[in-house]
This record gives sequence, structure tokens and C-alpha cells, in this order.
Amino acid sequence: MTTASLTPASRGWSPSQRYVRSLWLLTTRDLKVRYSTSFLGYFWSVLEPLVMAGIYWFVFTQIIRRDVGTEPYIVFLLCGLLPWMWFNGALSDATRAFTREAKLIRSTTIPRTIWVARLVLSKGIEFVFSIPVLVLFAIATGAALHWQAVLFLPAILLQSALTLGIGLIIAPLVVFFRDLERAVRLVLRFLFYASPIVYGLHDLEHLGLDMFAALNPLAGIISLYRAAFFPEQLDWFAVAISAGMSVVLLVVGVLLFRGSIRTVLKEI
Amino acid sequence: MARQLEDAPIEPGRIETGGMRVEGVGIRFKRNRTARRNFKDLFAGRHRRTRPGEFWALRDVSFSVTPGEAIGVVGRNGQGKSTLLKLVAQVMFPDEGKVDVVGGVAPLIEITGGFVNDLTVRDNVYLTAGLHGMSKREIDQRYAEIIEFAELEDFTETPYKHLSSGMKVRIAFAVISRLEEPIILVDEVLAVGDKAFREKCYTRIEELLAGGRTLFFVSHNERDLLRFCKRGLYLDKGALVLDAPIREVVNRYNADYGV
Repeated sequence: MTTASLTPASRGWSPSQRYVRSLWLLTTRDLKVRYSTSFLGYFWSVLEPLVMAGIYWFVFTQIIRRDVGTEPYIVFLLCGLLPWMWFNGALSDATRAFTREAKLIRSTTIPRTIWVARLVLSKGIEFVFSIPVLVLFAIATGAALHWQAVLFLPAILLQSALTLGIGLIIAPLVVFFRDLERAVRLVLRFLFYASPIVYGLHDLEHLGLDMFAALNPLAGIISLYRAAFFPEQLDWFAVAISAGMSVVLLVVGVLLFRGSIRTVLKEI
Repeated sequence: MARQLEDAPIEPGRIETGGMRVEGVGIRFKRNRTARRNFKDLFAGRHRRTRPGEFWALRDVSFSVTPGEAIGVVGRNGQGKSTLLKLVAQVMFPDEGKVDVVGGVAPLIEITGGFVNDLTVRDNVYLTAGLHGMSKREIDQRYAEIIEFAELEDFTETPYKHLSSGMKVRIAFAVISRLEEPIILVDEVLAVGDKAFREKCYTRIEELLAGGRTLFFVSHNERDLLRFCKRGLYLDKGALVLDAPIREVVNRYNADYGV
């Protein structure tokens, strides 16, 4: 069988179409692998945050007398914990973005930022899948939903930009400095307690740390998520800082990624 | 009638689909992986000077290819053959010079790299072909053909990891060789697999050549080189030593490294 016509398969795809398509292929691949290889499949996306929330709820409401956060605490906690798991998962995976897929990266020409973007997207999809957990607890505890729930959208957008920006910085650096893989994990563990997840930004006021904590770009993003159930948690100053830092980190990430990709491809 | 490099001027102008132009290309690597790194290395730009601990895998390589040419790349191990292929496939970028390739490339390099162990053969075919730019409809049309070529009709729902290593190469070759791209790169992938399948792959490559594809072929096998290629590039110590008809190139190689 001779194919005489020379029609490149990629013809007719604009670069942005090809980007979106490749990104989607790899993201669905990740989810497919995750869900098809385990018996519980989708429920892992729910089970993981559920168990985590259960632990923190038990420790902070039953064992330790807590004077931070707002009632119902489990809803307050999940509003911070679910986005955190997205952030944390995407960035820990970003440390291995190049090493794990080295063979595939060496044989395809798809835009390289996809190797990081797909991690942000697939963990983001799992985050969206886990939102029913939050809804369930909100109903169970009778937490009132406010119009500020629409702020979920800008929050997701900001978090995507922030996570992608940091991911684009981490991924190439790890190729050169392998120690960074462990350093990132350590920083993430620190950041969990340094971010308003188990507590709220306002709980730091009496320590005089609230301004300082607002410099953490996650603070503003989490305050946006929380506003759905706790409008008083919304802190526009922190949101503005988050937005500014997300944009700056994304720009820095893109520039650093572009400048280093030539060397990265030689190293992997 | 050997065209020595220095007097083969590269004519400017448009390159047709399936053609390419490589101009003064050089790429350098670190000699050892543990060499001290700093942030400056990360952005190592296009400096001509060699830093300590680095070597040029290729240097000052220039040639151009017209659509439909079949080119064999010859040289001993570690002389830059695979690196040249990766530059042409644009999965690596040169530190100096320019590589212009017009039209898509079907790289038969590390072909099994994109396959995922836990997914079925069917999912893997759609994934790999998709990543190389095929639309879902195009894959639908070619799916049966791909599976038939790989002789895996009974295994389409089997997880990839349960295939034998020969089967893995078969399905990978079947997918990549159906990409309909104007340029094909072959890097000794066919060393694996049994004789019957190898012959089938060769027949497929011949079909593609007859269809007007441009071929880049890296091999140590003289018979294969002479079978497919008209023109040869002889790489030695990172330099393009000879760009001539394949027979001449093979003779020169044999003379240099007597077999």
C-alpha cells in the first residue's frame, strides 16, 4: 500500500489548537491511568481529602481546644484544604516533570510547557472532582452559602496561574539541582502551616502577623474560596497581593523556562 | 564526485516541504554529569567558546536536503549520529548554527518512549498518534491498519506492560510509520524484533520512500544503508567529514576503520 499524498497529519492545526489538544491528551492520560489502575478509581479524589479533613477535624475540634477558624470548622477547613491539595500535588509532581517523562519528551516536539501545565490541569480537575465533598459537609452542617461563591472562579484562575508559574520555575531547576526535589517537599510542608488553611488570616491579627501572612500568595486565594461560606474571611488586600504575585511568578516562570529549555533537553 | 563541505555553498531561499537546511550547527555537552553547575550554566547561551569540562558533539555541520532524498548517516559510536537526528527531529536545539526543517517529522527514535504501561494497546495507539499530531478521525481511519501491521489483533485490550518486548516495538513502529509526515527518521530501532518483522518494516520504509518521503537513516549495517539510501553523511569526531553518494561514504568509512 503506497501513500503517495504528502499530507502532514499536523496540517490544519494552529499552534494553539495543537497546544490545547496535546495538553488535553496528556491530562486525560494521567487521569485514565490513575482511575483505571485502582479499584476505587474516582473515589480516591474524594477519599484523600476526606481522610485528611477527618484527621484535622478530630485533632482541632475534639482533642485540642482551638480558638481559630470559624464554625462549622469542617467546612472552614475543607475550603482551605482542597485547594491546598491541588497546589501541593501539582508542585510535588512538577519536581519530576522532566525526569519521569524523559523518554517521551525526547521523542515529541509538543511545546514543552505542556509537561508542567498538564500537572496543574490534572490536579486541578481532581480538585474540581473533590468539591462535592465540600458541598456534602456544607449541607450536613447547615453552613449558609453566600453570593460570594462566584469568587470560586477567579480563585481557580488565580491558583492555576500561580501554580503554573511556580511549576515552570521548579521543573527546569530540578534537572540541574537534584537536591531541589527534596527541598521543595520540605518547603511545601512548611508552607502548609504558614498558609491560612487550618486557621484564618484574621486569626493572626493579635500576633501582628496578618500583614506578613498576606504576602503569601495562597492567603488571598484561600480567602476567595472561603468567602463562599464565610464572607468575613474575604480580604481584598491579600487578594490583590495574590493576583500581583501570581502574574509576576507566571512571567518569571515562562521566561526562566524558555531560557533554560535548550539546556534541559540536553540534560534529560 | 565527493562534494567537500567547504565548497558546497548553501543556496538561500525557500525550502520545500520535506526539505531541510542545516547551517553551521554545533552542540556541546558536559563531559561528566557531576561537573559543578551554577545558575549561569542554566542559561548557557550561544557562546562559541568551550568551557572546561565540555566537548562539542557536533561542530560546523552544514548540509541541505531536498524533499524525497534518502540519506544514510554513517560513523562510529559516539560520533554524533544520534545527536544529529535529534537536532533534525527538533527534540534538541543546537548551541550554534541553525536547523530549518520544513514539514513534520516522524521520528523512529525511542519509539516506545510514549507508551504507558498501564493503558491498553488501543489507548496507547490513540495517545501516541495524537501526541504526534494526528486527529482522532485520522486515527480512527488508520487504527485497523496499525493493529494489523503490528499483528496484535488479539491484544488490543491488553495493558501495554503485558506485551513482549518484540510486540512493544512492533506496535510502536506501526504507529509512528503511519504518521503521514514528509520526513522520517530511523535510528537503529529495527535492531530488535524478529527477522520476519524487520523485513516487514523495511518494506514499509520502502513504501514510504516510494511515496516521496525524505528519509534519514542511522545504521551500522552496510547492507541496509545501501538498500535504502542514495546519499551518505559521514560523521567523525563531531564533524561532517564527507557528504557524498552512499557507496562512496561506506567505502571511505570501511577504509578508515577497516572491516
